[in-house]
Amino acid sequence: MKILVCITNVPDTTSKIEFIEGNTKLNTASIQFITGPYDDYAVSRAIELKEQTGGTLTVLNVGTAETEPTMRKALALGADDAIRINAEPTDAYFVAQQIAHIAKQNNYDLILMGRESIDFNGGQVHGMVGQMLNIPSLSPVMKLDLEGNTAKMLREIEGGKEYLEAQLPLVLGCQEPIAEWKIPNMRGIMSARSKPLLVVEPASPEMLTAVSVFSLPPAKTGVKMIAAEDAASLIALLQNEAKVL
Amino acid sequence: MAKQYYSPRNLKFLLHEVFNAKELTNLHHYKDHDNASFDMVIDAARQIADNILHPAYIEMDTNEPQLKDNKITVHPAVKAYLKAMGDAGMIGATYSYADGGQQLPNLVQVAVSYILSAANNGATMYTGLSAGAGRLIASFATQELKDKYLPKMLAGTWQGTMGLTEPHAGSSLSDITSSAKLTETGAYKIKGQKIFISAGDHDCAENIIHLTLARIEGAPKGTKGISLFIVPKFREENGKFVDNDVITAGIYHKMGQKSTPAIHFIAGDKDNCEGWLVGEANQGLKYMFQMMNEARIGVGLMGAAIASAAYYASLEYAHERPQGRSLMEKDAKNAPQTKIINHPDVRRMLLLQKAISEGGLGLTMEAARYADLSEASANQEDKEKYFLLLDLLTPIVKTFPAEHGIRSVSEGMQVLGGYGYCKDFPLEQMARDIRITTIYEGTTGIQSQDLLGRKITMQNGKAVMLLAQEIMQTIQEATAFDDLKKYSETLQKELGRLQQVIQHLVPFAMKGEYNLFLADANLFMELASLIVVSWQWLKQAIVAQKAILSNNPQGDELSFYESKIHTMKFYFAYELPKTKSYATRLLDTDVLTLTTEKELIF
Repeated sequence: MKILVCITNVPDTTSKIEFIEGNTKLNTASIQFITGPYDDYAVSRAIELKEQTGGTLTVLNVGTAETEPTMRKALALGADDAIRINAEPTDAYFVAQQIAHIAKQNNYDLILMGRESIDFNGGQVHGMVGQMLNIPSLSPVMKLDLEGNTAKMLREIEGGKEYLEAQLPLVLGCQEPIAEWKIPNMRGIMSARSKPLLVVEPASPEMLTAVSVFSLPPAKTGVKMIAAEDAASLIALLQNEAKVL
Repeated sequence: MAKQYYSPRNLKFLLHEVFNAKELTNLHHYKDHDNASFDMVIDAARQIADNILHPAYIEMDTNEPQLKDNKITVHPAVKAYLKAMGDAGMIGATYSYADGGQQLPNLVQVAVSYILSAANNGATMYTGLSAGAGRLIASFATQELKDKYLPKMLAGTWQGTMGLTEPHAGSSLSDITSSAKLTETGAYKIKGQKIFISAGDHDCAENIIHLTLARIEGAPKGTKGISLFIVPKFREENGKFVDNDVITAGIYHKMGQKSTPAIHFIAGDKDNCEGWLVGEANQGLKYMFQMMNEARIGVGLMGAAIASAAYYASLEYAHERPQGRSLMEKDAKNAPQTKIINHPDVRRMLLLQKAISEGGLGLTMEAARYADLSEASANQEDKEKYFLLLDLLTPIVKTFPAEHGIRSVSEGMQVLGGYGYCKDFPLEQMARDIRITTIYEGTTGIQSQDLLGRKITMQNGKAVMLLAQEIMQTIQEATAFDDLKKYSETLQKELGRLQQVIQHLVPFAMKGEYNLFLADANLFMELASLIVVSWQWLKQAIVAQKAILSNNPQGDELSFYESKIHTMKFYFAYELPKTKSYATRLLDTDVLTLTTEKELIF
């Protein structure tokens, strides 16, 4: 069983987001970067499946050298090796191309990733990779078990859930509760230093989109206190300011 | 409950920018680590703190441990925490590879413990005690005992404790009476009682391992006749674990840190308690002091961590709570209320909180770095130098964050006004929790006597001279920056004041007038603490100033560095001048507490 997990390197959800250089660039100086939370679920389930099947697990990230601590964490958790495609991951099609290029060379049985990144939230990459490899792609997968070459899955759909079976190879976008997030142990952290981390240049420089400028939502306004008996003012505010009535 | 309890950015600043953790990896002992592994360890601690400890902080206080039918039940989060810490290999991370550790520098371990303790200080007692007890076994016990106890203690399945205090002997360990009698098997029959044993019994560990002080029959009186024993709750016999006659006689209902039971146990009531000698006979107290010095740094760190959690809780409240109008508001009746963070007195309280918690953390990390350098430096001269610096700083590291942490939490409560005194906010719990830190592992009185009576004078004042050199180095570095020059000059003057006080007091010791020498040791501790913490703040300000000048930081990053310099200025302006009153008192030989007239006390 050869498993590939694609991970993103994203700002911690508690980070305060600031843009610089005319709102064209994220100020990364004071930001703590983490593995994308949905990707973290994918990594956790992949580690469990690797242990069950005695297979191998590779993690892949499209990113610059700053993302290597995030990749090291995946190695500390139990991945065997890592591949970093040395490029900024700003375009979903470009990222999917890189993953597909690597996957074609390595014949993975299972390609997992988060259902979406939490910075750009495109949720497109798994679908594109499936298309490029001509194999099924499903998302969001909440449960995944393997029986031989068959994957049994639970997927969230509008208003309910569906239970699916499909033959490997597959590309899956994952979300909770597919597995519980894992915490790397000291031994894993130490051994991650000696695990292979291959850096490769992007296969194709084609990017179909580019961000021209970012903008932040307006700052929250102060709380307005209304006397308990003044329902008319409350209704007026809900109608005219909050526009929810 | 406030979402934030520590600042990852501040921890990164201290670890990498101020104390340059990477430099330690040049030492052979730490060569397998790098900055990425340090950051990963810290991130793993954050996960445990965020997911297990912090959500249970209030619940563990509300549902305190219960003793029923000789069994103590604690909050189930304790089990999850012990498992997570054991699985992560964090309980004994600083131990050598041979003893099951990963040779993590103490500097990084302090950062880890700080996160955990800020999230839930009481819960960290469980792992802290196992690490301390295990360290005694690793340092002094036979390989057979190490193999038997260490793996399970470091895995979090067995709980370690410290069995020192007895009902009639609190801080005075020379008076303990627990006894040990050698048996044919090589084990000792143990008999005695111990009180205030934190994590001394609970249902989240399969066995409790008490590192217990007792006297072997015929041993000399006083401290020279005390030996150290492993006394488990269950002992192994023929491959099975049987009851070792260690009974929980009672549980203390504490003011704070309610998550961890403190118990009274009786060993050998049925004459069926066995213990195993650790190291040599009659060396128990010496061994125990090794652990005690580490524990003292741990208690200081706990003070800084609780102060940090309180700071972020009150800061969050101050940003949200509207109350009153600006002092400069001309149309007060019609103007909307302003957030309380805009009131100068609230800012004063918040700045004091920040100064104490971040200054206390810096001081603790400095001590941890000295511990690493004394343990792993390549040459003997450096080892000795850093050992002396660590030895000198230890009582201050134990005391400053505890005593001033209490002040800091109290100011935090004041920021919240009446709400701070209520259970709706965590400040009241933090105020109860932190109170013990001035008592644990030697009260402030004992630390102060240790500092003045032993550490200042040891090796003819060599440690003080080494510390003065370290402070002078910072002072000289600060003079290179125009904005910091004024503060470097102030600190140099204060260093002179400290030397003047020492020169005044030490002759009393040389003349055998110990009463005059030590009567106001507590005030000396305050004086020394103010100067040492100011040194730490100047050190942090230098790094911030350099970063501003050379890295062109923007936005929050610039604010972070500027706030470091501002807090240094605050500490120098509002706290450091207090040295004058302490020095005045210490230079006066009319010591009012030495009166022998009993009626003057009433």
